[in-house]
Amino acid sequence: MTTRNLGTAMALLALGTVVLLVNPTPARPEGPTIEPEAARLLKRMTDYMAGLDRFSLETDNMLEDVLVSGQKIQYDFTASVQIQRPDRLRAERTGDLFQQLLVYDGATLAIYNPKDGYYAKADAPDNIDDLLHFARDTLDIVPPTGDIVFTNAYDLLIAGVTEGFVVGKSMVAGVKCDHLAFRTQFVDWQIWIADGDQPLPYKYVLTTMDDPAHPQYLVLMSNWNVAPDFNDAMFRFTKPEGAKQIEFLRMDAGQSAMH
Amino acid sequence: MKTKSKIAVLGVCTILMLLMDLPFLQLVEEAEAIAGVRRRTARRTAVVVGSATAASASAATASANQQAAAAQQQAATATAEAEAAKQQAAAAQAEAEAYKQQAAAAQAAAAPAGGTLPIGTVVTALPAGCTTMNSGGVEYHSCGGNYYRAAFQGSQLVYVTAQP
Repeated sequence: MTTRNLGTAMALLALGTVVLLVNPTPARPEGPTIEPEAARLLKRMTDYMAGLDRFSLETDNMLEDVLVSGQKIQYDFTASVQIQRPDRLRAERTGDLFQQLLVYDGATLAIYNPKDGYYAKADAPDNIDDLLHFARDTLDIVPPTGDIVFTNAYDLLIAGVTEGFVVGKSMVAGVKCDHLAFRTQFVDWQIWIADGDQPLPYKYVLTTMDDPAHPQYLVLMSNWNVAPDFNDAMFRFTKPEGAKQIEFLRMDAGQSAMH
Repeated sequence: MKTKSKIAVLGVCTILMLLMDLPFLQLVEEAEAIAGVRRRTARRTAVVVGSATAASASAATASANQQAAAAQQQAATATAEAEAAKQQAAAAQAEAEAYKQQAAAAQAAAAPAGGTLPIGTVVTALPAGCTTMNSGGVEYHSCGGNYYRAAFQGSQLVYVTAQP
């Protein structure tokens, strides 16, 4: 090969590279387009969380409602969550929409509204994963941070994702995070995950895209403790003085009378 | 000659760096689009704050029990719609379709207010002027010719028409 041929080849190679770089929008392939790095960071978080025997955190939640007029109203509530795998969960929600204690002891799920003085109990599955499914599917209750507590949270979160990418580095309440963005058919969601050796989530945003008002649900997570001191009494529901027991309207009971 | 090659190398490097930045710039644009969503939200919030009367009125009716008296048709509809959107947002994660059906059900549920309701009708707030009675250890609220018992529909406290 002569020097001249080599030069020509290099020039062509350079030209090809330039063309590739200048044209950064190649034809979109069919199926999900998830940046491997976005998937990796998400899985790193869910694997880390699945490996935690116990943890506690606080959340600040902002939930948007859409009125008939199209006007959006934002509600705030906070939650304090304690989880001990495989079968203990306690969450206390306080705010505009909720004033509610949720307690699970491995056999029974109880919710209690202190302000109204009502509580309800249901026989529950014997582990947190099944409990979360049961609560969502049968009782229509989504415990705070439910989406990320599942031991197989990655599979559940990534299911239905059509696009995913790393937005970049971000600071959430002083914590350096990787900011990831995902799309599904109806919901765009974003998550901010600490980039250190404890890849915990610090922020989570859901945007409902099939509502023209695009209401959002935003959760800020803070005060993570991955080695908290728990005692069994925290996860046991004791009927408070004067509280009255009421029933759950179960989804499988088919509330057809509602119509 | 040596200087010329240095300049050439530097020039190529600069061009390459600029080109390398292109995908990054692309990403920033998308990031700004996301930030734009937040900005729009903020603007909406400002509007809500501006019309504080309307907003607080809606918020008050939405927080169900506080003002059982405010169970007029209009308020109930607003509450139902709000509840529907709430369920939609929270649920969207997995079963958007299922929740939409439910939202529709919730909307249907809170609509009637007044007159005798079919047993099993679910409302998010009691009408005005209820009295409380106890039958067989169960608490009933009697108002407007209907008996209601409290129940949890998901995390929300609701009232279901029943026969004591």
